Amino acid sequence: MTVQQIIDGLINGDLPRAIEIFAPELILCAAIVLLLLVRMIFGVQRIPACWVALLGTLVAFTGVFAQFMYLKTDLSITGVADTPVEELAARLASAYHLTPEGVGSVGGFFTDLLMHDQFTLFFRLGLLLFVVLVIALTVLTGIPDNDDGPDFYTLLLGSTVGMMLAVGANNLLMIFLGIEMMSVPSYAMVGFLKGRRQSSEAALKYVVYGAGAAGVMLYGLSLIAGILGTLSLPELAGHFVTVMHGETFGPTNAAAVTLVLGIMMVLVGFAFKLSLVPFHFWCPDAFEGAAAEVGGFLSVASKAASFALLVRFLLAFSGPEEVLHGLRVFLGIGLAVIACLSMTLGNLAAYTQTNVKRLLAYSTIAHAGYMLMAVSALLIITDAPATEGWTRSQIFYQSARAVEGLMYYLAVYLFMNLVAFSVVAILRNETYSEEIDSYNGLVHQNPATKLLCLAMLMAMFSLVGLPPFGGFFAKLQIFTSVLYAADLHWSMWVLLAVAGANTVFSLVYYLRVLKAMFINPEPEERRAIQTPALVGTYIALIALPIFLLGASPLQSDLTDTANYVARTLFR
Amino acid sequence: MNEIALEGYLGIGALLFVCGVLCMATKRNGIGVLMGVELVLNGANVNFVAFSKFGTLGLDGQIASMFVIVLAAAEAAVALAIALNFYNNHLTIDVDRANELKG
Repeated sequence: MTVQQIIDGLINGDLPRAIEIFAPELILCAAIVLLLLVRMIFGVQRIPACWVALLGTLVAFTGVFAQFMYLKTDLSITGVADTPVEELAARLASAYHLTPEGVGSVGGFFTDLLMHDQFTLFFRLGLLLFVVLVIALTVLTGIPDNDDGPDFYTLLLGSTVGMMLAVGANNLLMIFLGIEMMSVPSYAMVGFLKGRRQSSEAALKYVVYGAGAAGVMLYGLSLIAGILGTLSLPELAGHFVTVMHGETFGPTNAAAVTLVLGIMMVLVGFAFKLSLVPFHFWCPDAFEGAAAEVGGFLSVASKAASFALLVRFLLAFSGPEEVLHGLRVFLGIGLAVIACLSMTLGNLAAYTQTNVKRLLAYSTIAHAGYMLMAVSALLIITDAPATEGWTRSQIFYQSARAVEGLMYYLAVYLFMNLVAFSVVAILRNETYSEEIDSYNGLVHQNPATKLLCLAMLMAMFSLVGLPPFGGFFAKLQIFTSVLYAADLHWSMWVLLAVAGANTVFSLVYYLRVLKAMFINPEPEERRAIQTPALVGTYIALIALPIFLLGASPLQSDLTDTANYVARTLFR
Repeated sequence: MNEIALEGYLGIGALLFVCGVLCMATKRNGIGVLMGVELVLNGANVNFVAFSKFGTLGLDGQIASMFVIVLAAAEAAVALAIALNFYNNHLTIDVDRANELKG
C-alpha cells in the first residue's frame, strides 16, 4: 500500500466513521489538554484537577455506553426502545449523533489499524467505569494532593487511552503501541510519591523490567511480521498457511520454528503485563512501593486490557487448517503450564506475607493464572478438527463460553480488587500502616470500621471463590470451560486439578487478613479511626456489586451480555 | 558494489538483540540497563526495515520502525527521570542496591 492510497482511503470514507467511533478517546485526550490548561489559567486551587478528570471520564463513559447499547439493542436497525435503559441509550445515541454507517457497522477503522466490535466496546466500557471509580477513590483518599493532581490525572488518563487503543488493536504495530502507551505512564505513576525511598525503588524496578520485556516483545513482533509478510492481524493465519506450503507443523520446519519463537517473545511481553510467572518479579515490589490507589488501577485495568489484547492476538491464528491447529494446541499447552506455575507460586508466596499490599500483589499473580486458564481452554477448543468428535455448533458454543468466562471473571475481579485496595488505602490514611498486624480487631472499634471490615470480607471471600459472591460464578465458568477442553486434550485435566487445589489453598492466606480484622484482640493504645460518611458510602457502593453479581438477577444479565459479546467474536 | 542479502541485515539485528539482552542482564548501572533496552529495540528496527526492503512487508515495516524510534525516545525520557529520582533518594543508580523491597 502506498502513502497516496492510505491518504485517499482516509479522506474518502474511513475518517468520518473513525472519528465517530473514536470520539470517547478524543474526549479523554481533550480532558488531558484541559487538565494542563486549567492549571495554567486558573491555578489548581480554584478548579481542582480531579473534577476535570472525573468529568472527562464520565462523558467518555456515557459515549462508550451509548455505542455499546446502540449495537447491542439493535437501535441502529429498529430505532425503538422498550426498557428505561434502552430509552436512555437511545437519548445518548442521538446526543452523540451515532449513525448506522458509523458506530452501527462493525469492522476495522483508521485503515484497519483498530477494530470496532462488541468485544472492544465491552472492554472500553469496563475500563472507563473502572477509571471513574478510581478517580472517585483518589478524590476521597487525597492521593494525589491538590498541587500534584494535574500531573497524576494526566498520567492516569493517558494510560487509559493507551488501554482503550490496546483492546481494539487489529495490527501488530498497534499491539506494541497500545502496550507501551499503557505502560509508560504507569511507570511514572508507580514512582509518583517522589520523596519516598520505596516508591522510587519500585518505579526503577518496574521500568527496568518493563522496558526489557517491551524490547523482547518488539523483536518477536518483527520476526512474526517478517516471516508472514504482514502486520495485519486478520491476515496472519492465511499467510501462515501459505508459508507452510502444506507441510506439517513441527520442530523440523524452519518457518514454524521461527513463528513459534516470535510468538513466544511476544508472549513474554504479555506475561510481563499480566504478571505471570516467571515474569512476575516486578509485581509485588511495584505494588508495595506504589500508593494503594495506583496498585488497584494497575492490578485491574492494565490486566483487563492485556487479556483482551491477548485473546485478540491468539485468535488471529484461528482457522480450520491442520498447521494452525498444531500451533494452537502447542500454545494452549504452553499457556496451561504458565497458568499452573502462576497460580501455585502466587498462592505459595502470598502465604508468608505480612504487608497487605504485597499479599494482594501475589493474589493478583494467582488470579492472572486462573484467568489464563480460560485463554488456554479457548485455544484448545476453538476450531478443533472434526476428528475429535465435536460438532461445529458445539465448538462454536464452547469457544464463546470460554471467552465469556474470562469476561465475567474480569468484570467481577474489577469490583473485588477495587474494594480490597480501597480498604487498604482508607485504612492507610488512618493508621499509617499497611501491615496485617495493624488491622487487629478493627471490627470492634466503630460502625465505620465494621463496614470496612465487612467490605473486605466480601472482597476476600469472592477472591477465594466462595458462593454466593460473584467470584464463585466467575471461577465456576472458567473451570467448566477447562473441563470441556479436557475432552479434547488430556493436559487440561492436570490444569483443572492444579487450579482446584490452589483454590482451596488460597483460602488460608485470605483468612489470615480476615482473622486479624475480626478475631484478633484490639491493641491497647490506638487512636480512633474516623471514616467520613462519604467514604463509607463509596465502599458500600463498590462492595455491593460483588454480592449482586453472585446472587441477584444482575448475575444472569452480565452473563447474557458477556455471552452475546463473546459469540460475536466467533461469527 | 555487492548487494547485501537479507541474511546480513537479520544477522546484524540478531547481534544487536543479543548484545542488548546481555547488557540488560549483566549491567549493574541503571543507565547501562537502559542502553541495553535501546540496543534491543534497534535490533528489532533493523529487522523491520530489512523485511520491508526484501519481503512483502512494504511500507508497513518502515512506518513501524519510525513509530518505535519515537516510542523509544519517550520511554527513555520516563526511565531516565525515574533513575534520577532513584539517585536522589538512594545516592546511587546501582540496580543491585534496589533491594529494600522484598519478601
